[in-house]
Amino acid sequence: MAKNSIDWSPGNWPKLLYQFFTSFKLATTVLFLMLLVTLFGTLDQVDNGLHKAKEIYFHSWFINETMGSLPVILPGGMLLMLILFVNMTLGAIVKVRKRWRGAGLLISHFGMLLLLAGGFITNQFATDDYIALYPGMSSSKVESYREWQLEVMPLSKDGQAEKAWLYPSDVLDTVRPDEQRTIQTEALPFDVVINGYSKNAMPIPTSAPMAASVTGKEIDGFKLSPQKPSTEAEQNLPGAYVEFRPKNGADPIEGILWAGSYYFDPREKPMPFTFEVGDQLYGALLAKKSRPLPFEVRLDEFIFERHPGVTTPRNYESRITRIEEGQPDKPVEIKMNEPMRYEGYTFFQESFGPAGSNPGDDMYSQFAVAKNPADQWPLWALVINGIGLGIHFIIMLVSYSSRARKKRSATEATS
Amino acid sequence: MHLAKFFHLLAATALMATLTSCGDSSDPSVLVERELSTTEKGFNVVETSRERFRYQTQAPPTQGEATSGATGSGNPKLAYDTPEGWEEKPGSSMRDVNFVFGENGEGSCYLARLPGAGGGMVANVNRWRGQFKANPLTEAEIAALPKLALFRQPATLVEVDGPFAPGMGSTDTFDDYRLRGLILASSAGAVFVKMTGPKALVAANSDAFNQFVASLDVKTN
Repeated sequence: MAKNSIDWSPGNWPKLLYQFFTSFKLATTVLFLMLLVTLFGTLDQVDNGLHKAKEIYFHSWFINETMGSLPVILPGGMLLMLILFVNMTLGAIVKVRKRWRGAGLLISHFGMLLLLAGGFITNQFATDDYIALYPGMSSSKVESYREWQLEVMPLSKDGQAEKAWLYPSDVLDTVRPDEQRTIQTEALPFDVVINGYSKNAMPIPTSAPMAASVTGKEIDGFKLSPQKPSTEAEQNLPGAYVEFRPKNGADPIEGILWAGSYYFDPREKPMPFTFEVGDQLYGALLAKKSRPLPFEVRLDEFIFERHPGVTTPRNYESRITRIEEGQPDKPVEIKMNEPMRYEGYTFFQESFGPAGSNPGDDMYSQFAVAKNPADQWPLWALVINGIGLGIHFIIMLVSYSSRARKKRSATEATS
Repeated sequence: MHLAKFFHLLAATALMATLTSCGDSSDPSVLVERELSTTEKGFNVVETSRERFRYQTQAPPTQGEATSGATGSGNPKLAYDTPEGWEEKPGSSMRDVNFVFGENGEGSCYLARLPGAGGGMVANVNRWRGQFKANPLTEAEIAALPKLALFRQPATLVEVDGPFAPGMGSTDTFDDYRLRGLILASSAGAVFVKMTGPKALVAANSDAFNQFVASLDVKTN
């Protein structure tokens, strides 16, 4: 009896923790739970789409969802992968007996750890943006597909601005449709009040029949109607009721901001909600989050061909010039499956527009721009894994052959 | 022993890095200043919310001006891609674009416009549902239906399964049919895109429908 009892005294806690985190049972349990999370996360994509399902199931610490009428309460993918990482590091690398026979397995576990670490780096640091250009246009920034931020800027009468004050997407996203939030800056003569933010919304003219069922406030002949978020997160067009409260005590100015006022075509300019405080014109809009590039990209030519007689594109490719201070301009071709990789960024030829364009039309080219410090880690991890398993296979084969030879010799000797 | 200590340290560092990275977020009560790049400095200052929300700025074409993207002329004209496997049929006074698909042309898809709000969203959604003997939806339920972009505006996506009785003078009923349609209704005009056919056939052509819808545009020259 005494032999099996566990010493729970505080002094023994590190040892107990070490035993817990190195146990094979823990690894088995975590792998089983990961199987469940993968199953539910995959099924959830039907209702919530890929992006949201990933957020709920794989990028989370805990899952508390309902699928149909089934409650899904599980540890999140992030937590499970962290536990697996710790378990594998301590159990399969530190605790395991180091001997030549286990060298292959040790190497392959390093590969798995690298894969998990790569997933974590990707989750934390990778960006996934796009850039769309007509021939002749250039840009040194990329924009997010899904992240929207609120921007306020002083405008000249002809619509020019030098700087903007933004409310970042990560905090804007936390404003609920029924929440009021006041945002301030000393640099502007007014406070900004968000009176509800919807991740997908549609402004409806009050003259339209369906406006009667929309409960939001009418402003300038429109109401903002919250919509069910799309399963394709990039299709969501958020909206917000906003109020600008001048600090001099003048009457507040109310407006509706809608992401559809941003541009859809690279030649369009965003259409902000405009208002005056004092003698200064200001604009406010929901804009896509942008990130600067360390170089500029100019589209020189976009080549677009269709298969004869049908509308299916046969080929589309872009000829660009990469412009970087202190470097000679570099012409580059970006084709489908032939991306440009430079300074950690990968430019893929993604699509083109406007919709319904034909060869010969004035068209823009769109690139998906990915930046992922762990871009190649899965490849390295698989290579390490392959090498490890290969070594293990050879060791086992040699060991088996040697045992078989000895057994044969022993049999021959005794017969 | 030293190796074991190193891995303990590595694991602890990874744990700390993970936990500390979770609290990284912006201050929820302040605006952050940023310089605008050269390409970001220009804005389109419009007078009304109607312009800002793109109502009547891209009106659907007037009757008789709708043409395929490849061959059309007129100003403005409707531009679109014909999905693979779909066959275009002549339009009618009610239908600007008309397609059939399937081995025997059992599936159909058309685009139609009506002036004004076209009878309203609720009436039209429930009219379509009525053709499939489905119960009518409330306004709130219709408002919660998913949306797809149509002419760059969010249109309501309607999907119904069941026995299909098209009406309009026909007394036929087709079993196990499916409807996938979009309604864009505003005071500026209503646009309908409706695909019907045997359930499996419509399901198989769902991507083609999305492709057609995404390709729809109004060309002004």
